[in-house]
Amino acid sequence: VRRLAFLLAGLALIAAGCGKSSGGDSTGRLVVAVDVPVTGSPYVAQTIRNGVQLATDNVNGSGGIRVGSRNYRLAVKLYDNHLSARQAVENMRRALDAGAVAVVTDGTGVDATWQIANRDHVPIDIAYDGGTGLVDAETRPNVFRIAPTNRGIAFRLAEYLIPKKLKVALVSDDSAYGRQGAADVAHAFSGNPESVATKLTVPAGETDLSPQILRLRRSGATALLVWGQPPAIAAVLSAARTIGWNVPVFTPPTGADPFVRQQLADHPAWVDGLTFASGRMTAEVGPAPFLNFQSQYESTYGVDRVGVKNAAGQPVFQPPEFAMYSSDFVHVLVAAITKAGSVEPEKILRALNEVATQGANGDERGFNEHSHEGVVDDDVYFARFKDMVYSPVHDDPLSATLPAIPQTSAG
Amino acid sequence: VSLRRGACLGGLAVTVTVTVTVFPAPVPASAAVEQVLLPGPTPYPTPSPPLAAVGVVPTRPLPFTIHARVAERVHAGVGPDGEIVSLRALHRLALTGKGDYLIVIGAPVVDVHAGPGSQSEPGLRIGQILWSGFSPGKKLLVADAELSAGAARFLPLRLHVTRAGGRYSLTVTNATVLSETSYEGKGFPRQLATLLDRTRAQSLAGERLDSAYASVEGRVRQRPARIAAPVAVQGVLRFPSVPTSVRGATLRGRSVSFSAVLGDAGPLSLRVDVRGGGTPRLRLVAEPTKLVRALAPPAASSWAAALRKRPIPSRVLLRTLIDTRMQLVRSDQYQAFLANPDPQGAAKTVYVYESAAAPTPKGSPSAESGSGNGDALVLTLALVGSVLGIGVALVIWAHS
Repeated sequence: VRRLAFLLAGLALIAAGCGKSSGGDSTGRLVVAVDVPVTGSPYVAQTIRNGVQLATDNVNGSGGIRVGSRNYRLAVKLYDNHLSARQAVENMRRALDAGAVAVVTDGTGVDATWQIANRDHVPIDIAYDGGTGLVDAETRPNVFRIAPTNRGIAFRLAEYLIPKKLKVALVSDDSAYGRQGAADVAHAFSGNPESVATKLTVPAGETDLSPQILRLRRSGATALLVWGQPPAIAAVLSAARTIGWNVPVFTPPTGADPFVRQQLADHPAWVDGLTFASGRMTAEVGPAPFLNFQSQYESTYGVDRVGVKNAAGQPVFQPPEFAMYSSDFVHVLVAAITKAGSVEPEKILRALNEVATQGANGDERGFNEHSHEGVVDDDVYFARFKDMVYSPVHDDPLSATLPAIPQTSAG
Repeated sequence: VSLRRGACLGGLAVTVTVTVTVFPAPVPASAAVEQVLLPGPTPYPTPSPPLAAVGVVPTRPLPFTIHARVAERVHAGVGPDGEIVSLRALHRLALTGKGDYLIVIGAPVVDVHAGPGSQSEPGLRIGQILWSGFSPGKKLLVADAELSAGAARFLPLRLHVTRAGGRYSLTVTNATVLSETSYEGKGFPRQLATLLDRTRAQSLAGERLDSAYASVEGRVRQRPARIAAPVAVQGVLRFPSVPTSVRGATLRGRSVSFSAVLGDAGPLSLRVDVRGGGTPRLRLVAEPTKLVRALAPPAASSWAAALRKRPIPSRVLLRTLIDTRMQLVRSDQYQAFLANPDPQGAAKTVYVYESAAAPTPKGSPSAESGSGNGDALVLTLALVGSVLGIGVALVIWAHS
């Protein structure tokens, strides 16, 4: 009997040590893993990682997270997925071994990683990729996203373009992002085939798209909707403007990627008029909350330089849009841990459906049992470039209510 | 709802817990005259309807730039004895105005999906339907919500079915009846007649009551009152074969139809007796409605005209005025089974009762699912085996 008592006591001790937290003192440590393409898409990787780090610093600076009688501090662990699903799987295993309570990713490899994480009830947050099918509250209960969805962007682009009576050429590149977007765009325009001039897929790595642009021009297109990675958008703009075709070009958020402007830095006028759809950075409460976040971000990490200058010679900065999303997720996660009153992943995962926090832009961020999307379709706005910086358009009801965010030192 | 009368009238200091508010006299001509606030448009006499969530739901007022109108259809599934076995609400929220919205509607909601025509998808949290987005000027949000059957106690009707031999009896009862404390006193007939005409006009036009005051002279006394929302009922019983006789309804072929307003100075229940025909399927549509009979002036086109013809005691006029306004408030209360997030917004609810089979509890294994039962058996055996195995191993180890 005594041996049995010892055995039970031993089992209890082992069970007590089987938490996701680490550290033997009264302050525990909760790991938030960040799996991003550091070497594949450095801007995206850096902004997501900085957003997570900024939020965890804020949480830790406020005393951490109190769960029962114990205090926890958040720690960030960075993994590089090289834009490779295989590497993302490997990183996920390492992150789980490290006891991560959540994984924030750009979206690379989520189709393969979510099941691995789900076995341990660990939530994954996608902070960049809006791919349809990546997030499904019913079939992928541990996958969440705070970033605009492709479906929402495609729907909003159709809603914006169709009333303009344009003949839109739907162009996509052959990357996974381009293919997924093409499907969403085709669906969004399916009810209005008269608005579509043609559909065309272009090679993602091709720098000279002159033949494809000629085909598009001959199709009678009066607008191009280009859904692809930044190099494809830059190549389309370059080819169109080279032949003097000043056709309006519309894109998803990749149009605002610094890469596009860097590629066209020698011809700033070619960027003028480029209109992209993305999640709005400011809420109805005004720009103050986002500007506060931007100020904190830039004072911690410095500005994200685009690498181009405007006509006045001022360097152009990129507002920390996607950093805001990854930062918001950390705050939602903290709210879930607090609501769960536990660091058990299963309880945290369940609580993520029941909490909401105020996001960095003043909007409410949260998930629910039916939707694991933190950015609703209505929050997609349109912005147009002029002189290497962008500002919201005036011919869309939502965008017209939004202020321009400063992108140069002159504001 | 507890509202206080803060004045000392005729030596009687009264704290009245009623649906009416009596405010202190705002400088009356005579010291004994009070201006009393009559019932309506709010507060409602009970917290529900509109339904509330089980837990605490954060209050999310709509921004002042956005207004909401609610049109709602509540579907109650009726079991063989008249009990409610399922409850669903189709909640159409028409927003007007430009701006962001974040709407939290508290309700004992089991599941929710976008309904026909919805321009957005609703979210679900425990006890909450969520809407979030931007209204560009107009937006339609339609929630198709499955509600906990426990919310059936807030429906405006109770149904009871009895069967004996070849006889089928359906009793439909107005379930909005409430015992309330009202008050009485001596008013001014001409003013009360004018107020009655105004109340009647608003009732007949289907408008919400506006706030109104009446002057009362002398002592104000409490009195008990029973109020009920007037509910218009239209029903059909469809039998498999032609019934032999019907009482309390009209027989047309194999269908037996009935209609009535339960309340409004009329009976609060109706009964339909049918002989033969088999087991019918019921479809009944109920709507909280206006008062007609209870506000009809005696032998005149208006209360003012009736008063000119012959004197009517002011106590009768005041009692009629207060009671009818309480009934109209109760009727207005049932116009929103799920809440309208805009407190000033209009709401209209239609309640549909239909025969339904008892729902299968969610998650329970299907009777046809042989593999599911097999899995459960395997799992049970595995668990029992594991426990026995561990027990045997422990005993052996403890004796080693």
